[in-house]
Amino acid sequence: MKRSLIITSALGALALALGGCATPPPTPTAAPSVPASNFKACMVSDAGGFDDKSFNETAYAGLTKAKTELGVQTGEVQSKTDADYAQNVKSMVDAKCDIIVTVGFKLGDATEAAAKANPSIKFAIVDYFYEKPGKNLKALSFNTGEPSFLAGYAAASLSQTGKVGTYGGMKIPTVTAFMTGYAQGVAYYNKAKGKDVKVLGWDDTKKDGSFIPGNNPFGDVAGGKQVATNLIAQGADIILPVAGPSGEGALQAAQASNGKVGSLWVDTDGCVSQEKYCAVIPTSVGKAMDVAVFEAIKAAKDGSFTNDLYVGTLSNSGVYLAPFHDWDAKVSAETKTELDKVKADIIAGTIKVKS
Amino acid sequence: MSSTTSRPAFLAYLSQYWREWAITGAAMVLALLLGAILMVVADPEVSANFAYLFTAPQLALGGAWAKVAGAYSALVAGAVGSPEALAHTSAKAAPLICAGLGVGLGFRAGLFNIGAQGQAIMGSIVAAYIGFTFQLPYGLHLLVAIIGGVAAGALWGGVVGWLKAKTGAHEVIVTIMMNYIAAGLLAWLLTTAAFMRPGRMDPISPEVQPTSALPGIYQQFHLGFLVAILAAAAVWWLLERSTTGFAIRAVGLNPNAAATAGMSVAATTTITMTFAGALAGLAGVQAALGPSANGVPVPLTVGLVGTVGFDAITVALLGRSRPLGIVLAGLLFGGLSAGGLAMQSVAQTPLTLTMVLQALVVLFVAAPALVQTLVPILKERKSKKVAMAGGEA
Amino acid sequence: MTAQHDAGLQLREITKKFGTFVANDAVSLDVQPGEIHCLLGENGAGKSTLMNVLYGLLQPDGGQIILDGEELHVENPRQAMAAGIGMVHQHFMLVEVFTVAENLILGREGGPVLNLEKARAKVTELAGRYNLPVDPDARIEDLPVGIQQRVEILKALANDAKYLVFDEPTAVLTPQEIDELMIVMQKLRDDGKGIVFITHKLREVRAIADRITVLRRGKIVGSAEPGTSESELAELMVGRAVDLRIAKPEAKVGQIRLSVKGLTVANPAGAVVVDGLDFEVASGEILCIAGVQGNGQSELADALLGNAQVTSGTVTLDGVDVTHSNPRQTIAAGLGFVPEDRQHDGYVANFTVAENLVLNRFTTQPFSKGLALDLKAIADNATDLVERYDIRTESITKLASQLSGGNAQKLVLARELSRDLALLVASQPTRGVDVGAIEFLHKRIVAERDTGAAVVIVSTELEEVEALADRVLVMYRGKAVGIVSPETPRDVLGLMMAGVPYEEALANSKAAATGKDN
Repeated sequence: MKRSLIITSALGALALALGGCATPPPTPTAAPSVPASNFKACMVSDAGGFDDKSFNETAYAGLTKAKTELGVQTGEVQSKTDADYAQNVKSMVDAKCDIIVTVGFKLGDATEAAAKANPSIKFAIVDYFYEKPGKNLKALSFNTGEPSFLAGYAAASLSQTGKVGTYGGMKIPTVTAFMTGYAQGVAYYNKAKGKDVKVLGWDDTKKDGSFIPGNNPFGDVAGGKQVATNLIAQGADIILPVAGPSGEGALQAAQASNGKVGSLWVDTDGCVSQEKYCAVIPTSVGKAMDVAVFEAIKAAKDGSFTNDLYVGTLSNSGVYLAPFHDWDAKVSAETKTELDKVKADIIAGTIKVKS
Repeated sequence: MSSTTSRPAFLAYLSQYWREWAITGAAMVLALLLGAILMVVADPEVSANFAYLFTAPQLALGGAWAKVAGAYSALVAGAVGSPEALAHTSAKAAPLICAGLGVGLGFRAGLFNIGAQGQAIMGSIVAAYIGFTFQLPYGLHLLVAIIGGVAAGALWGGVVGWLKAKTGAHEVIVTIMMNYIAAGLLAWLLTTAAFMRPGRMDPISPEVQPTSALPGIYQQFHLGFLVAILAAAAVWWLLERSTTGFAIRAVGLNPNAAATAGMSVAATTTITMTFAGALAGLAGVQAALGPSANGVPVPLTVGLVGTVGFDAITVALLGRSRPLGIVLAGLLFGGLSAGGLAMQSVAQTPLTLTMVLQALVVLFVAAPALVQTLVPILKERKSKKVAMAGGEA
Repeated sequence: MTAQHDAGLQLREITKKFGTFVANDAVSLDVQPGEIHCLLGENGAGKSTLMNVLYGLLQPDGGQIILDGEELHVENPRQAMAAGIGMVHQHFMLVEVFTVAENLILGREGGPVLNLEKARAKVTELAGRYNLPVDPDARIEDLPVGIQQRVEILKALANDAKYLVFDEPTAVLTPQEIDELMIVMQKLRDDGKGIVFITHKLREVRAIADRITVLRRGKIVGSAEPGTSESELAELMVGRAVDLRIAKPEAKVGQIRLSVKGLTVANPAGAVVVDGLDFEVASGEILCIAGVQGNGQSELADALLGNAQVTSGTVTLDGVDVTHSNPRQTIAAGLGFVPEDRQHDGYVANFTVAENLVLNRFTTQPFSKGLALDLKAIADNATDLVERYDIRTESITKLASQLSGGNAQKLVLARELSRDLALLVASQPTRGVDVGAIEFLHKRIVAERDTGAAVVIVSTELEEVEALADRVLVMYRGKAVGIVSPETPRDVLGLMMAGVPYEEALANSKAAATGKDN
């Protein structure tokens, strides 16, 4: 009577059992090089999920690294909607995690409340900061304006048309910080070199620019491509997309231009995370969130965890300008020297990047 | 017409409907079986052991069993395993029931209300705004916020009904566009001073006042769930016992006959969409004022209502557009959602797999014919079926 | 018994049960090539069940089907078609948005590429052979009902059917279309097809049958010769003597209740469909609107209800102007309305019998209290009406969709007549209804007249007009050709329905009669 049912399950099993006559290896897999620890590190994503090729994914890389290098146990929950955050953080509390890392400003309230309710558990949040965090709550923020300034300088030097562009996913501080740093870098280049490279897509005096319209600005590759194409049509030949996965639209538009246009990447080194587009990516503005997350977990495990705000800067390598990869030959030795100088000046405080 | 709940009536009900319940049960079992296979296939460690299926079966089967049993016990424990889990399930179900009622009511009037999403967003905007802006005493504040949210949803739905009645504009297109407008409006409002949290540049609103939050009863089990059950009862009364509901059902089943009998199809359409919008708006109110796991409502953000308006379509279809069915479907969805989180956090099952499992359950429950094909004992004898379809008497 | 014959199509001892209900009880029937065998029976007698068994839509619980001496197993319509059995359904199985040619090859596409050219040629060829002219490129939805039926017939013929089953084919046709169908059926018979003709209309049976078999309550109750009188056939079919023409007392005409002056109605496309109509109907009289389908009668009825666009003229009911009232208002003013297409406009198929019986009164006393329905009052009303109008249903909570055509019509009429009416407007009140029910419905309508209501009956069937009318208004192209007595000879009425004024029609008719005499 349940013949069809049995067949269904049998087929499934068969698929698994292909070559089911092999012999298991005599010993289990070699013991990990790091001794296993009872310490449990956990992470909650925002609604973007751990596979967003952007900040959730980079933060998640820090958790993975902690697992392999520190031998910690891990736990993780991906959020589906904004209403889930408190519940999801709570589920990690229930899972007896020792440190819980949350990703994104949207989890700010939920993380703070959970930290208050669970003083014995450490909490860290990526891309956010608190005025007065509890003793067990550490915010991990990134001064992306600094590397963006360098990116703007490099972009200005690479532009053939005298116009560079940028666009954002949404007008929120974590996005506009890139855009304003980028615009200041271009302005600095103009002043130093006596040039007049224009920035399209961001007006630094009005603090406003181009953003992807619609319901899902960070997940809309076609929308990103549309905005990028508009910028290119207006003459921009280097673009900085600050829009998470939607930034891929700019990479596609650059690829379609046959080498006339380059597109930068943000959060990670685009030549690694978006490998197939490497040829059109001059450089990337990186946030070493994986490093920050890893360090927070390590500190919690070692007992050196503090609630001090972590700010990733050029100085502590928490943010960085990625290597030029395929574009290395196009960037003049002169520019490279100047970039080193600008970086040193930013670290020294002689150049101030305003937010 | 009047039904008594005496014992014979109950037995009659049982003999008439046992098959439907059995099919639903079988659907769950099938979905879980298929989900188990997927889970094993998707885990490289577990599936690799199947290479030794015949030489060392304990390795392959034991691993698979541990994997599946772990995931499913987490699912059950997370959905119904403890008072806390039940509270979580109820909190997840409440907005789905409200929005599902909104969609289902539309179905009963022959209207395809795709706009529950937008109606819920509008409800959440107004409820949250009242919640964080005004200073009112306990009780009154909540009442005003609920009424405001429900009215906003009703307006958003009613406009669609009015447009359809006056201009014949198809409700599917109009509601989809109204969804975009609502989502865009929310995104824009969150950049204005009236909605932005002081001291923050992110698109997030202040937390609502405690006076306007739906009071919790036990953990996340809050007043909103009772409101949802009341709403279901009210919709049942409206449909089955009121003159308005009579007209709604008549227009839904045969608008020509309804018009010939003197009912106004236009007015009924507008009324139905207004009610439907109010119910979806109530779902938005639940999202904005219902306490989350940390005891306070989630502040208004772009994604606050999630996809409640679209899930509501499935809930309404699953519940066959009947209030009781929608309550049960909403609870099923809520349970899957709550249990799905436990699968992630306790059993480390990836979110994508838990979502596939939810989809499988819905698929099998919604397709009884498929279940009957796979489990032939649940088939009705052919002659009986034909009697309904082909009899000329 | 013809079971010894080897040739032809035979059904032997077919039994079909639905639960405990026996729809066919050992029914045997045969048809030979080149004959028309009429299967006569009331609605619900089991005619369609028997034919659905033959066509593979239902599986019998007993009995055999023999085709040309060999037993035939039909599990689905495809197998029936392959065996040379075709069916012309009462409700057409056509895709409305497809053309004639496309419908013809539907289900027989034969490969991924449609050969429309071939299908077109086939339509033309068959249409020529059987004199069934149809435009192969016309869309079904644009065709009149009679032509749509031709397409159904062509579909069956395109499958090289040797045996054709016509299931109540005349129920949806106008008198003229019926005449044309009769000619087509005779032509098919002469061409060697064996035809089973299912009907309950006695006149048609007498006109065309070679053999007649009568089915009652699932059993064969007898066979009759084509010459058998209508009343004998009716008695055989119903099981008792039936008044084919009800005894109608003389009308006691009172004061004018409905007054229509210069009524002009436009259809949604803007064309004038009712053109300056003037008439009055008094208390206690029945005015029949006669005419060929599509001459504005439906729109006139809709205008009286308040469901059509009146461009000029007035409608006055009991002295109150209701020209621009909506249906709710006209119903409140005392209008009872029986729509032409009861399934479409008359009742809600998925509502219960009880709900349908208050469809236009559920907001009034005693069926509602404020916003709430009074279920008890609604149930009491239904119990009462089901009994008084002999609506055959298992229970008042059964869905209206489970009622037979006659019982559904009784339901609509019961609902309308259960109120105090100033005016009853009934369109095709007995279309698709069996003889026994017709008698009943006609008596009820006359009884309503005798309570003092004004009655307007729209009918395309002259028998009905003759049976009910106190006066007859003949409509042609939206205008009144004339108002005449119901005693007017049939051929004169026929001519008037073609637009010939009464005087002229009378003269023509007399001339024709004289010519025949010579």
